[in-house]
Amino acid sequence: MKFFSELTKGIIKENPIFVIVLGMCPTLAVSTSVDNALGMGLAATFVLICSNMMISLIKGIVPAQIRIPIYIVVIAAFVSIINMAMEAYLPDLHKALGIFIPLIVVNCIILGRAEAFASKNNVLNSMADGLGMGLGFTLSLSVVATIREILGNGTWLKMQVLPSTYDPMLVAILAPGAFITLGLLMAVMNIIKEKN
Amino acid sequence: MKLYLKLGFILLVVTVIATGILAYVNSITAPQIEALKQEEAIKSREELIPDSIFEEVEVSPDFSYFIARNKDTEEIQGYTFIASQRGYSDNVKTMAGVDPDFKLTGIKVVEQSETPGLGANCTGPDFTKQFQGKTMEDLMADKDGGKIKSLSGATITTRAIASSLKQAIQTLQQHVQQQAQTIQEDAQ
Repeated sequence: MKFFSELTKGIIKENPIFVIVLGMCPTLAVSTSVDNALGMGLAATFVLICSNMMISLIKGIVPAQIRIPIYIVVIAAFVSIINMAMEAYLPDLHKALGIFIPLIVVNCIILGRAEAFASKNNVLNSMADGLGMGLGFTLSLSVVATIREILGNGTWLKMQVLPSTYDPMLVAILAPGAFITLGLLMAVMNIIKEKN
Repeated sequence: MKLYLKLGFILLVVTVIATGILAYVNSITAPQIEALKQEEAIKSREELIPDSIFEEVEVSPDFSYFIARNKDTEEIQGYTFIASQRGYSDNVKTMAGVDPDFKLTGIKVVEQSETPGLGANCTGPDFTKQFQGKTMEDLMADKDGGKIKSLSGATITTRAIASSLKQAIQTLQQHVQQQAQTIQEDAQ
């Protein structure tokens, strides 16, 4: 039962983007189109699950004072290995996701979950937490990207959804559009929370 | 004091182990990655100038090009090269082919790490197709008076690609003409 609640909390109640407000940099930068959002989200989910399990495994032997630098080394090494292995053996997948992988290292959701959850919980729950947070991240990223791609390009997942006479609102896919969309979505989330 | 030394030592051990693992993985994967890149380069060259055999000519350590000769007649079909210039976040490398009159036959962006959704769109056919048939004079972003339609929100990427191609074609043209001259002089 605990496993299941750890898994679902990341999607709404403790949503990493809208509630915990972690990982803003990739959220703002990569939400220009839905396929980018999905690519980034899934790649980050994979790393999040693995790093959470890894951190949970070594939590007993890491001295408390230097845990953060050790987590960073573990996560960075892990991401680099995935990047190299993917480039060598899965070149097509690497072409699609390659640009997101170095960005994952600096995604603070990963370090945030390592510190806040994985270092205090067992491997199984840490895995559930990683999966839930990853899915929450992917979903929120896709929502932001959906709004930005439709307004800024007239397409969704590269399919034309608005009539071609629509003049794209370019600002939506530029940096200011990211801030505006994110701000409005957070406001909506807060209104919903207050009403409950 | 003793505690800090101990902590520093533990951190050292952790980083040494991590570095060792990374070096090991790199040594396994690097040749494989290099081989894939070579294969890809051969394929791209064939796409740009089909039915040719390629011969590499090195101009300087940073720039070399390939002469494409027809498989049967050995007539020069054109040249291919890789142009590189810093874009918005890192170097953008573009492989391009030109015909014997130095008109572009096509381009392919082979390496870039531009912003996804903006500059990264430079790999798409919507952008690369317009380079076909362009000469050196056309190779400027439309904002700067050239004939290359800029990517929306990514003028810097467009400029990097256009101007790197322009420079590369210039170097190539000079070198080819020089070569031709030396051959003529030798013959006399």
